[in-house]
Amino acid sequence: MTVTGQEITDYVDRVRAALADLPPRVRDELTEELPEHLAEVAAEGEGALVDRLGTPEAYAAELRAAAGAGEGRRPARFHRLAEAWEQAAVQVRLLDRQLGPVLGHVTVSDFLRPLRPAWWLLRGWLAALLISVLVDGDRPGLLPRPNNNASAGLLLLVGAVAVSLWWGRRSAGITGWQRQLHQIVTAALLLFSFAVLAQVDERAGSDVYSGYEQTSVDRRYDRIEDVFVYDQQGRLIRDARLFDQNGVPIRLGWPSCMDGSGVVPEMRNTYPYCPERAPFGPPAPPSTAPPVSTPTDSPTPTASTPTAPTISASPAPTSTP
Amino acid sequence: MRTSVLSVDTTQLLKGVLDLAVLAVLKDEDGYGYDILRRLREAGLTEVGDASVYGTLRRLFAAGLLTTYVVPSESGPHRKYYSLNAAGRDQLTRSGKTWRSFATTMDALLDDRGMAA
Repeated sequence: MTVTGQEITDYVDRVRAALADLPPRVRDELTEELPEHLAEVAAEGEGALVDRLGTPEAYAAELRAAAGAGEGRRPARFHRLAEAWEQAAVQVRLLDRQLGPVLGHVTVSDFLRPLRPAWWLLRGWLAALLISVLVDGDRPGLLPRPNNNASAGLLLLVGAVAVSLWWGRRSAGITGWQRQLHQIVTAALLLFSFAVLAQVDERAGSDVYSGYEQTSVDRRYDRIEDVFVYDQQGRLIRDARLFDQNGVPIRLGWPSCMDGSGVVPEMRNTYPYCPERAPFGPPAPPSTAPPVSTPTDSPTPTASTPTAPTISASPAPTSTP
Repeated sequence: MRTSVLSVDTTQLLKGVLDLAVLAVLKDEDGYGYDILRRLREAGLTEVGDASVYGTLRRLFAAGLLTTYVVPSESGPHRKYYSLNAAGRDQLTRSGKTWRSFATTMDALLDDRGMAA
């Protein structure tokens, strides 16, 4: 049986788990050469690692004894927690390797590692936002604006990103309390970034178009500016409302004239927008029209009622608005 | 000769002298972990455990007797080389003398009682 990389990694994980009570720095020092050593052992012959070297736990015990590392100084009540933590770490490493091929890499970490500078940039931006919010107590936007000052915000942004990049290049080898502080700050920033996302998303949902009314329109009527509705007697109907079969208002045209106060009226669903532009406008005074053909009474816009306005403007339907 | 003595209870004896053995195989040439292990085994300490050697290296390094440096490898990971520093050489000399006098005493003791090597 040939030893696989997987077997080596598992062996290393188990050795490290058995040394979990040691301070991380000591444990790292003790096991840093282990993968390479196991690879050498694997290359020199056949047989499983466990058969040749004993169990990882026995290996760890021997390593600990020879190094004089002894027991860790961690209090006993933390032992269980540390073991659980170690188990979780082993699981995460396992997932790391299992999901790697999905992303086209050996491990997920390999995939993520080149993306770290991008995270540093993002982290700088988030830190600038967080500082801005802490100064102002305001709701976070997309740009830091301490005291509503955009140029100070820009300075803050550039500074925070520069610090984040510097720290990113430096933080690889840190240990101890610095490492813990780093992890705590990272977790806080991630929480904050979620809050920012929620805020921005909420605002994006409440834009000016969110309250629009449903209307029924058709491109074929794009050239129609206004709509004039006449009743059976040829009288222009004001503030007529049009609906389709679903009860949805039909919107056609747009206001293009000014009302009495010199303002273009707002878009609305009543027609006509500009009654004074009616093609068959207010009935002509009797004096200007030939009395012969123009009955002055209302029921007279000829017999062919609905189509009456199409004849011509002069014998206008005698409508009164 | 000494090897045959050690084989009586090698594991126990090794504990006492592994430091010296590791310092000795590094006297003339630097080496990385697996390399050092191989030298010890080639010298006859066949029962030395892998983990014991790495643990010993770590302890000697922590005691300031060894220095380390990393050498890139064409095939596989970078290797951490161990090298004796001045304090390590002093320690090797002193421990070597102690061992020799101890071994001589033991040899004489056994010789006197007619035990073959």
